[in-house]
Parts: sequence; C-alpha cells; structure tokens
Amino acid sequence: MAEANTLLKISNLKKQYSKKEVLKGIDIEIKEGEFVVVIGPSGAGKSTFIRCINRMVDPTHGAIEFGGTDVAKLKGKALREARSNIGMIFQHYNLIGRTNVIKNVLHGRLGHNSFFKTLTGSYSDAEKREALTLLQKVGLGDHIYKKANALSGGQMQRVGICRAMMQDPKLLLADEPIASLDPKSAKVIMDQIHGLVTERNIACIMNLHQVQVAKDYATRIIGIKDGRVVYDGAPADLTEAMIADIYEGKAEEMELKTDNVAVGELAYGV
Amino acid sequence: MAFSGFDQNVVPSEMNQVIPLAKKDSPARIKMWLTIGFIAALIVASFIHLSVNPLDILTAPPTMLTFMADNFFPPNTEIVANSLPVIIETFFFAVIATYVSAVISFTLGILMSERLNRHAVVRRGVRYFVAFLRNIPVIIWGSLLVFIFGIGNIVGLIALTIATMGFLSRSYAESMNDIAGERLEAMYASGASYMQILVHGLIPEFMPAWLNWTLFSFEINIRASAILGMVGAGGMGMLINSQMNLRNFRSASMLIMILVGMILITEFTVGFLRRKMT
Repeated sequence: MAEANTLLKISNLKKQYSKKEVLKGIDIEIKEGEFVVVIGPSGAGKSTFIRCINRMVDPTHGAIEFGGTDVAKLKGKALREARSNIGMIFQHYNLIGRTNVIKNVLHGRLGHNSFFKTLTGSYSDAEKREALTLLQKVGLGDHIYKKANALSGGQMQRVGICRAMMQDPKLLLADEPIASLDPKSAKVIMDQIHGLVTERNIACIMNLHQVQVAKDYATRIIGIKDGRVVYDGAPADLTEAMIADIYEGKAEEMELKTDNVAVGELAYGV
Repeated sequence: MAFSGFDQNVVPSEMNQVIPLAKKDSPARIKMWLTIGFIAALIVASFIHLSVNPLDILTAPPTMLTFMADNFFPPNTEIVANSLPVIIETFFFAVIATYVSAVISFTLGILMSERLNRHAVVRRGVRYFVAFLRNIPVIIWGSLLVFIFGIGNIVGLIALTIATMGFLSRSYAESMNDIAGERLEAMYASGASYMQILVHGLIPEFMPAWLNWTLFSFEINIRASAILGMVGAGGMGMLINSQMNLRNFRSASMLIMILVGMILITEFTVGFLRRKMT
C-alpha cells in the first residue's frame, strides 16, 4: 500500500477556559485509515482535544486542517458541512430516546440534507437501505422500530455507531465510547468500531482510559498529560514506564488504570 | 452485642461518655437560634401592627361555620340549570388560555434557554418580559384589562393567557435547557442545522415535559378562571360574586360546590393523564 495521505493536521492547538489552560499547544498529524487512541489521566484535556476537532469546543488558538480547510476558522454553514464529514460517538450515546432506532440512525444524514427535505422525515430509499444494512450488521436488525431509550447501553452505543457511519465520514471521533459499558459489551463495541473503520478506511481518533484496550486496537497511541502530548507512537513501543509517566502524580488514576487492565484481561483474555 | 465493631475502637473508660452529635456553640447552632428568634419577633410584630388579637383567630372558625351553616344550607339546586352556560364558559376559558399559551410559550421557552439561544441580549430581553408577565397576578391583569375592554369574556381570556404564558415559558425553558445539553450534542456534531435539531431532537424529547407542564397549567387555569370573574372578567366567578352581593348565599354555595367539583374532576383527570404518560 502506498504511503497514506494526511487527513488531519492540527498545529499548536490551545484551549483556555476562564482560568485554566486545558490544551497547551498540540501538534498532531493524522493519516487516512489510522486508528489513533488517546490516553491520559482524567482532566488531562483528552475530551477537550477531541471536541476541538469538530468544534464542539472552540479552540482559543491553533489550526485544524481537515479536507483542505482550517476547521478552526469555519462558521455557520461551512462549519456544519465540515462536521457532516466527521462522525462522532459519545460516552453516553446521546441518542434521541423517544425516537425509534432507525430514525436515530438516519439523524446521521441530517447534515447532508436540507431542512425541508428532512422536515417530513422523507429520507431517500438509498439512505434508508443503508441504515437498515448498518443496523443488521451490528445485530440490531430486529429492533429498528424500538424507541432508543428501550435499548440496553451496549445496544444504544451500536445505534450511535450506525448513526456516525451514516454520515459516510472520513474521520470518526469517539469520546470514551466504552466507559459506561460492561466488559462484554465493551468488547463488542470495540470490535464493531474497529471492523467498520477498517473496512471503510475511516481514520479514527478515540479517547480511552483502558490502556490495555488501547494497545489491542490502536495503530498509534497518543498520550496526553496536562494539556500536552507526552507520547506519540506505536502501541508496541509504549512501555510500562511510559504509562507510569503519563499517569504520574495521579495515584488514584494509576489504580484505575490497573483496574482497567484487569477489566481488559477479563474481557479480552490477554 | 450488636455493635461489636464499636467495642473494639472505644476504650472502656470512655464507654459511658455522652457523644454529642453536633459541636456545642458551633456557628451553625448560633445561627439556628438567631433565625428562630428573628421569626418569632417578626410574628409578634405583625400581630401588633395589624392590631389583631391572636385569640380572635382561634375563635374565627366556629363563627364562620355557624354563618355558613345558617346561610349556605341547603344549597339552591335551582340555579344549576341557569348557570350551566357559565360553567361551560369557565371550562373553555381554561382550554383556550392554556393551549394558546402552550404554543406561544414554546417559542418563548426556546428564546429563554441559554443552551438554545446564544444571543444573550435577546435572551435577557425575553426573560425580563416573561418575568414581568409572570409577576403580575392574574386577578390584577383581569382588573386592568376590564378598564381597557370593558366587562366581558375577552378580558378573562387575555388575562388568563398572559398569566399562563408567564408561567409556562419559564417552565418550558428549564425543561428545554436540560434536554439541550448532551442529548442534542450528537446532532450538532453531525452537522445538522439549528432547525433540524429543533424538529428532530428537541421536540421529541421535550414532548413529555410539554404535555406535563401544559396539563398542570390547565388545572391552575380552571381555578384562576373562577377567580377572574370576581373582577368582571367573565366566567363562573362573576356569577358567584353577583349571587353573594345579592345575599343569595344558598345559590352561591351551590355554585361554589360545582366549582370545587369541577376542580376535583380536572385534578383527577390531569393526574391520571400525567401518570399514564410517564
């Protein structure tokens, strides 16, 4: 395979909340098809970082080059268009609970369609077929008319995955997608995300706090600590000492990390 | 012994010592006594200023009961047939006022929610406007509007709609704000437009709260539309008031009983509907 093209180039990204600087200058380049997992203690800025990419959080400084434009500078319609090419999966799934499963998946198309077309819920046949295919693929083919809030956590996250895939994104962002799930569902979700992005050559940036899971799936791991990148490399090169360094000074996080390794072992049998 | 864990930690000589549950003379304790003292002083001062003997309040209920027993019973059932149109009128007042304001308040609620309306100036403007509507009691709206439109049903309707709008807009805005956080985040992230997010995200999620608040205000409005009549704004209150002024207490008591019945039926029905919804 030829050298993959750069999909996303983040330079000197900073985010300042009223008092605290959460991101202190991040430079990262992501290539097509990469599966990047971001690890780091809570409060390190992982979530802010991932939300800056699609401007759910407005960065204070820096550039986010994606698809030939600087997302950091976009506004209004242009911003919505950029967002429509970036899928996102959330820790709490963020579905519309009182709407049924297939409609929730089709919400992924809203950004690609005009308001009046979507007002009556008239999606194209191709879109509906794609939604159904995706839902069948993740094993929810029998639940398409169920209300989203009638599903289990794992099932909700699968709907979240399908919704993101409906956007036909070039980049997928995932913010702690398995943090609220039991180990068994977590493995299903990780396998499905990994399978879909690999099959469709979608680059993925995922926040996780389970280091073992990160090592199992990532093609590249980025460690963020106190608003800065402290590790950027292959999973195999991430040593115990480096992990300890990333979580340094966060004793309780270290314990959490160890717990999560145990969870990882339980779920993945490593 | 039940508290075996306790035994191991406490030295035997300390066993009989009383363990206070709060520190004596702590600032919180002093504050509590100051508050109690202040409220007591306030009550005493109020009685003195109003020159009412507290004992008179105790003897009031028997006086009231004797008067009512002598004058209000038996209720005059003949008035029921005559008052039927007014009873229906009262009900329709509440219906129209509630549902007109439910629609207007939906828009006002969106404008008042900080997560749905980023224009701080517009938001604050609407908030002040709604607070103004809400803080003027419905009866004052009624007596004010009587001067503008004269005695009649339109006054009751407008007064009730304004008051309901004040109440509903704020309640809606709070519920909408709860929804507009995480639950709509995914839609924003997928590039959906504001209107798409309102239609496909906010409205379905807001529906239960919408119905709930609206039914609740309907219940309030049934009561309020009876009161409004007192100032000549139409409805049942007007009839009750005129019967009282004519000293037809037995007719008035019949009307009051009908009103109470109506309120109870509404309360029961609304309660039933709200339970069914959740």
